[in-house]
This record gives sequence, C-alpha cells and structure tokens, in this order.
Amino acid sequence: MSLPKPVMRGMLAKRLRIHLPLAFVVSFGLALTYKFAVAEPRKRAYAEFYKTYDSIKDFNAMREAGVFESVRPTGK
Amino acid sequence: MAHPSQLGFQDAASPLMEELLHFHDHALMIVFLISAFVLYIIVAMITSKLTDKLILDSQEIEVIWTVLPAMGSSQIAILSLRILYLMDEINDPHLTIKAMGHQWYWSYEYTDYQDLGFDSYMVPTQDLTPGQFRLLEADHRMVIPVESPIRVLISAEDVLHSWAVPSLGVKVDAIPGRLNQTTFIVNRPGILYGQCSEICGANHSFMPIVIEAVPLPHFENWTSLMMAEYT
Repeated sequence: MSLPKPVMRGMLAKRLRIHLPLAFVVSFGLALTYKFAVAEPRKRAYAEFYKTYDSIKDFNAMREAGVFESVRPTGK
Repeated sequence: MAHPSQLGFQDAASPLMEELLHFHDHALMIVFLISAFVLYIIVAMITSKLTDKLILDSQEIEVIWTVLPAMGSSQIAILSLRILYLMDEINDPHLTIKAMGHQWYWSYEYTDYQDLGFDSYMVPTQDLTPGQFRLLEADHRMVIPVESPIRVLISAEDVLHSWAVPSLGVKVDAIPGRLNQTTFIVNRPGILYGQCSEICGANHSFMPIVIEAVPLPHFENWTSLMMAEYT
C-alpha cells in the first residue's frame, strides 16, 4: 500500500491564483461602494437642493432670525 | 462653519467648491481602491509561509504593475487638470474688494464705492452674544452680493497671512508687497466663516474672516450706509 504523492510544487502560485483576483474584486468593490454610497448621493443631494431652492425665501428667513448685520429684521 | 467632530468639507457655497467636493470624492475613491488592494496583498502574504525562490525576469508582472498604477494616476490627473483650469478662469467680476492682512485683523477696501474701507477685528469671547461662534465672529463683516462674481485682491501690511474661506474653496496667501487675486461666486445668501491660514504671530488664531452674502438691493443699501459712516 503506497501513500499518494504529496503536492510539492506550485502551492504559492495556487494561492496567488485565488488571492490576486480576490484582491482586485475586494478593492474595486470597496471603491464602487464608496462611489455609489457616498459620491453619487452627494452629487444628487446638491442637485436636488438647488432644484427647489428659493434664495429670497431663505434670505428672508435668515433676516427675520436676525443673523445678518447688514440687514435688520423687518420692522426694526 | 464646521460643526463639532466634522471630518469632511463644509457644505459648498460656491460652484467651484462643489466641483472640489466631487473631485475629492473621486480621488478618495481611487485612494481607497489602491489602499484596499495593497492591504489585502499584505495580509495574504503575511498569513502564508509559502515563498518563491525563483523571482527572476518577471516581465509580465512588471508590465502589469507599471501600467495599472499609470492608469490610476491618469484618472486622477485628468480630472484635476480640469478643475485646476476652472479655478483660474476670470469671469468678469462685478465687484472688487481688497482684503489686507494685518497683525492681527483684516481690513476690507471697497474702492468701487468711494474708498469705503473698514477694519474687521475678532469679537472677543467675553463679548459674544448668544448664538455667536467663539473665535469666528468679527465686528465688521465683509458684505457681498449673492450670485455675483466677486474679485478679492489680497495682500498684507506686515507679515504673511492667508485669507481662507473653506465653504467657498478659497485660500489665498496675503504676502506683503504682493497682490494676489481670487474670484468666486456665492450661490446662496448666508454667513460664511474662515480663519487666517498662515502663521503670523501671537494672535494668528484670532483674526477670523466673516463674509455676509445678501441679495444685491440689500448690499447696495449697506454700502450707502457704510459710505456715510466710513468715507
């Protein structure tokens, strides 16, 4: 009865064949996650904000709150 | 202004700062990609006793790890050039203001309005009213009209200072004997804060910049009142 010959070569190459593609997948996955979880929502948030932004209304609200020094609230 | 424990940029108040935000997101995405890849490889190498005794003449891998980083770098470089040239565009400013750095205050000159000029000192902490921000408030704010291109000419009277407003993406050195120029447009009305950004002595941390952006009619009213007082 003879034992099967153990694997003696190519172990590092086999490991690299698994881990190198996996490294690309993980790193691109992380990059795409950042892009679609942070970068694209930020662009959309700015676009949505300015679609319905009324600068005069915003200004009047701040004016009445008294935050400006160059413009006093109406009635003062 | 920044809020406590803030890590990212302040909300953009100018189109250029919005572009800078998006470019930063793009560059950071590439940084995360490279860092994750390198970290994964490091962990994969450390967690194995296998080594290669015959690392010689690996032309294929050399080409790959030259070309891939070059592609990644070019991704960053091309977009950065776009925003770099965008920052240098001169867009026919409607108003020119001179900001002069002194130890330890800023002075603003509105020479479009009959030599209107005034100094802007920090409001000391003990004089703050409720709702004001410590080390950020100034006694006289630089008032500008919204949605108008503004040119600011920056210099200094004594030592180096730097005129910086993060929410506009502006930081320009104030150098004695030199006139630096920046232009920006403020998208929306409000109060924008900045601080001196070049070490200039004992009170470097105590010479803030406060910009008040208001609609044009209110800006004109303000200039009339100020001219009556300061010219």
